[in-house]
Amino acid sequence: MADQRPLSRLTTASTIALGLIAGLLSGWWAITGGMGGESYSGWYGSRVTGSTDAGPWLRARVAISGLLALNRSQAVYFTRKTDDSGEPLREACRYRVTGGALPGKWWSVTVYAADNYLPLNDDNALSFDATEVASDALGQWSAILSPTRPQGEAWASTNKAGNFDITLRIYQPEKRAQDDFASIPMPKVTKLGCGGQA
Amino acid sequence: MNRPVKLALLFAAAAVVGHVGLVMATPHALMRVVTKRASQDGKLINQFQFGPRTTKLARGVVRPSPDLAYSTCVYDLSDGPVLVEAAPTPGQGYVSLSVFAANTDNVAVFDTTQLPQGIRFVLAREGQKTPAGEKVVISPSNRGIVLDRRLAANDELFAAANQARRADKCESIKG
Repeated sequence: MADQRPLSRLTTASTIALGLIAGLLSGWWAITGGMGGESYSGWYGSRVTGSTDAGPWLRARVAISGLLALNRSQAVYFTRKTDDSGEPLREACRYRVTGGALPGKWWSVTVYAADNYLPLNDDNALSFDATEVASDALGQWSAILSPTRPQGEAWASTNKAGNFDITLRIYQPEKRAQDDFASIPMPKVTKLGCGGQA
Repeated sequence: MNRPVKLALLFAAAAVVGHVGLVMATPHALMRVVTKRASQDGKLINQFQFGPRTTKLARGVVRPSPDLAYSTCVYDLSDGPVLVEAAPTPGQGYVSLSVFAANTDNVAVFDTTQLPQGIRFVLAREGQKTPAGEKVVISPSNRGIVLDRRLAANDELFAAANQARRADKCESIKG
């Protein structure tokens, strides 16, 4: 026989409290559990970042991880937490970032610690940009992500970054790049070694 | 309706309220924190504040770019529109002005590639009287932030950008 007893105030309040807690936890997971957007060769970006087209979940995710981001007419943003083999980016390792011409007026790659802020080091190398890399005859460039300064190469320091991520910003992107992120030739991130020099 | 069903429905309804409430409130709450900080607890409204060069210690906004000089104006349109201007950086380095509403939406953005002589517009609420002949940006909220970004990837570029941005305006006008 079905239980038809009325709900006591305590039972009602407890159930509501548990439901609210579950909702808050699931909401927090939804807006912090991932980068959101789409993946392009390991880089995550969203075409509605900063725009009025963003839905409530994406708006909340951007507010947490990229508050005051520009919309794609001015800049496109891509972030990655892993190297090309899918392993998390770690301070203890060295990586080579390689790429070709990127479709915008200017670009940069910046290292962020897990707290979404710049790593607390004094290396004066928080990022590298289009003006710092040397392109070869085929337009290919490379740079290093590592905790110590390499010899004669563009560099962003991962010193004191822990498990870090990197953000590629392309400013004033070409129209095709704005409309089709898949058309952007994304830089590769290759692990060179961990611990000592590899 | 039996007791377990009532409890399940109550739990589900509360969970939806908690989930949606958090998702909807988060952007507004974070924006309030940023505008409070940028306006020094509401004391500096409708005027630009010029940030120092971005370093490891920058903690005002998440994921700052170390290659840009940032200036912020917390606007308040409750007493009328606001005139916003930004002068170009000599050498035509990248400069943009972007307007963010209270829910964090980027409702307008202009740059000196489009407007090499400088950026100028009036920020207003829908229905407010604005000066004739001015470009008007409608904000969906009374409060928000105008952000001036300038390319400043090294000390020399930062010095040039810093000097140029001192001509910026963000001031209340009577419509």
